[in-house]
Amino acid sequence: MSVVGLPATERSAVAPPLAGVRVLDFTHIVAGPFCTRILADLGAEVLHIETRSRTEGVGVHADQPERRDPRVHRNKKSITINLKHEAGQAAAARLASVADIIVENFSTGVMRRLQLDYESLQPSNLGLIYVSMSGFGHTGPRRDWTSMNMNLQGYSGLMLVTGSEGDPPISVSNSWNDFIGGLHAAFAILQALMERKGDGHGRYLDLAQAECSIATLGPLVLSSAVNRQDSARLGNRSTSIAPQGCYPCAGDDEWCVISVQNDAQWSALTLATGGSPLATDPRFTSVVGRLRFQDEIDEQLRAWTQNLSKKDVQTRLTAVGVPAERVRRADEVVNSDDAGRVFSLLLTPGSSKPDLAAGLPFSLGISETRPPEPPAAIGQHTRKALAEWIGLTDAEIDELEARGALV
Amino acid sequence: MARILDLAPHAAIYAGRLLAEAGHDVIRVEPPAGDEIRRMPPYLGGRPDVEHGAYHQFFNAGKRSLTLDTSTSEGLDVFRRLAATADAIIGNFPSRLNPEVFHADQPRTVIGLLCNDESPEICQYARSGMLVLTGQPGESPMLLGGHVIFAATGLWVGVAVASALVVQELTGAGQIVTIDVQQCLEVFNEQAIGAYATTGRRTNRRGHRGAITAVSGAFQSADGWWMLSVPTTADRWFRFLDWVQDPVLAADPSFAEEEHREAAKDLILDRLDRWSLSLRTIEAVDEAQRQGITSTPVSTPVDLADDPQLIHRGFLREVDLPGFGDVRVPAGAIASVLGRPISLAPSLGQHTTELLAELGYDEAERTALSERAII
Repeated sequence: MSVVGLPATERSAVAPPLAGVRVLDFTHIVAGPFCTRILADLGAEVLHIETRSRTEGVGVHADQPERRDPRVHRNKKSITINLKHEAGQAAAARLASVADIIVENFSTGVMRRLQLDYESLQPSNLGLIYVSMSGFGHTGPRRDWTSMNMNLQGYSGLMLVTGSEGDPPISVSNSWNDFIGGLHAAFAILQALMERKGDGHGRYLDLAQAECSIATLGPLVLSSAVNRQDSARLGNRSTSIAPQGCYPCAGDDEWCVISVQNDAQWSALTLATGGSPLATDPRFTSVVGRLRFQDEIDEQLRAWTQNLSKKDVQTRLTAVGVPAERVRRADEVVNSDDAGRVFSLLLTPGSSKPDLAAGLPFSLGISETRPPEPPAAIGQHTRKALAEWIGLTDAEIDELEARGALV
Repeated sequence: MARILDLAPHAAIYAGRLLAEAGHDVIRVEPPAGDEIRRMPPYLGGRPDVEHGAYHQFFNAGKRSLTLDTSTSEGLDVFRRLAATADAIIGNFPSRLNPEVFHADQPRTVIGLLCNDESPEICQYARSGMLVLTGQPGESPMLLGGHVIFAATGLWVGVAVASALVVQELTGAGQIVTIDVQQCLEVFNEQAIGAYATTGRRTNRRGHRGAITAVSGAFQSADGWWMLSVPTTADRWFRFLDWVQDPVLAADPSFAEEEHREAAKDLILDRLDRWSLSLRTIEAVDEAQRQGITSTPVSTPVDLADDPQLIHRGFLREVDLPGFGDVRVPAGAIASVLGRPISLAPSLGQHTTELLAELGYDEAERTALSERAII
């Protein structure tokens, strides 16, 4: 139903999109916390359930338990609860009864054993939106398979779609897969919130991170299902323009990418690289010819780039309108005028050097969002959250502490 | 359910698909010759026409198609009338329509605009700092295949537009949302950025070999590739040894310690390379998972088409694809979880007539527009 024409309500559009939304966050490692941090940046009150009794996972440093990771912890509140303790589970269940959203990424069965699964919690919280973010989903023949980022890069097809024919599987050395899963979960949650406005009912979302990644390769999965044949691996090349590639420059592991979009740029490139023999070869004046003889063109381009710095290659080519970009490392992203602006300096408790944290890569014209703030200390909000969310008194919290339920 | 006009370029087109999976009425507004993405190979059945491009078929599934030449004043009029019924508009506005002016006239509509998206894909990837992390150590950096970085930026666009739709539903107010495509990619590089900030250290591409634990990586099997990472504990190593039955690996008791495995990883991984060649992928993965070792096949897209987990979950859905009969197609990460199948991609201009009729153009007017190639 279209909302165009709906009269403005009392709530201001300036408020962050998720202002007043309570998220009970059972996530750990990367994918789950990435999802809940987006919700926090959008203004939700994210209560992250942590424990000092566990030492694995990103953001938890066994030798430095107080060290906080702004990628995992920022803009969230932290409560320590020992979920293995009966009273801890009970406290968590009570918090869940007043939560709008729950996000978890434990293995299949863990939340059920704790009686913190959707079936257990939904009867006393009809509006609950409950998101599980496992590797393969909580149903199906592989629901008990363990997974992590690199395995899912492989399983999703990404590692054999990337690279050139004959290459082994090619990976990206970061948590790429986790980010994709976290973003899909955040999208699904925003959608569920919109739907809940209608009848007040939430829902259970059993997301599989593998499916999220495979979806990003949807076009190739579709064509391979229909054609019963995989497409060729393209490496750094394009099917429609040439030359395009990653060319070695002077220095150790220094490269520049070049991507010639049209004949005019090709002409400019040949002039910039000193002319012959590229400039005069009639085979290359059209893109059809350049696509066909890419190997030869690339060899000659490499002969030119390898004696120049990558900055030099980029400068000379962009000066004449040819798209070229030096292959940057982290320092070249944040120390440049033309990049790195999504990052801001953040002082993290327990860390001697300031960190750089990424904010949201988009801006809303009217609604506010939260920039990254120094993360809370572990357990910093235990008392406050128990009092504010479920009305526990100091004495009741003291008792839980004494029993060991809040470590 | 919102009505969403989708004029997004490739870097944002996945947003429209996600919103269609979520149940919204997404209308793809295309030039009369069709979207550029219709011409991106591979083609279903190898048919290089505007209906069979796989990128079009996937990203435009669930949407309706209206063809319109918005560079003409009549076309712009049609667009204005359509936009007046829209809850959201994503992507490139017609050049003679200013989004800010539109927003002032129609403040209830969410507008999603891109910025910093002019460079070619490979240049954007290089600038983000992630290209240097992709590929094998000692070899060329590699662009991620299948244009997945544009699916990822489209995912950010989906989140950004959805957050504005949440505000619209609560308050009735629209707003302009600006998504910086370059920044979308930089966020994915935050781990290397953070490591540089706190330690000054540069992150290099590590490839798959020994990248997680010492005994980890992708291995070639008799029928493909698979991956595993043997946990660091001694008891897992011994159980793994029991399976592998390699006398050289069994002969060194120091391998019980992860740090010794790390020091000898080339030797160990070379032995496993050889062992793996006689194994069948799915049997190897099943056995590893039984032992509590995280392991998966390394798939090609063809491998995924018959995947039992994806079929069970409804992520692969059987449809009757015109010209191809019954085929299993990816239903989408959101659609399959919501249990909402979406329609196949529209043919070029398939819904032009019904949408114009809905806007109040009668048959004579539609014919006139068609004759002048406005639609």
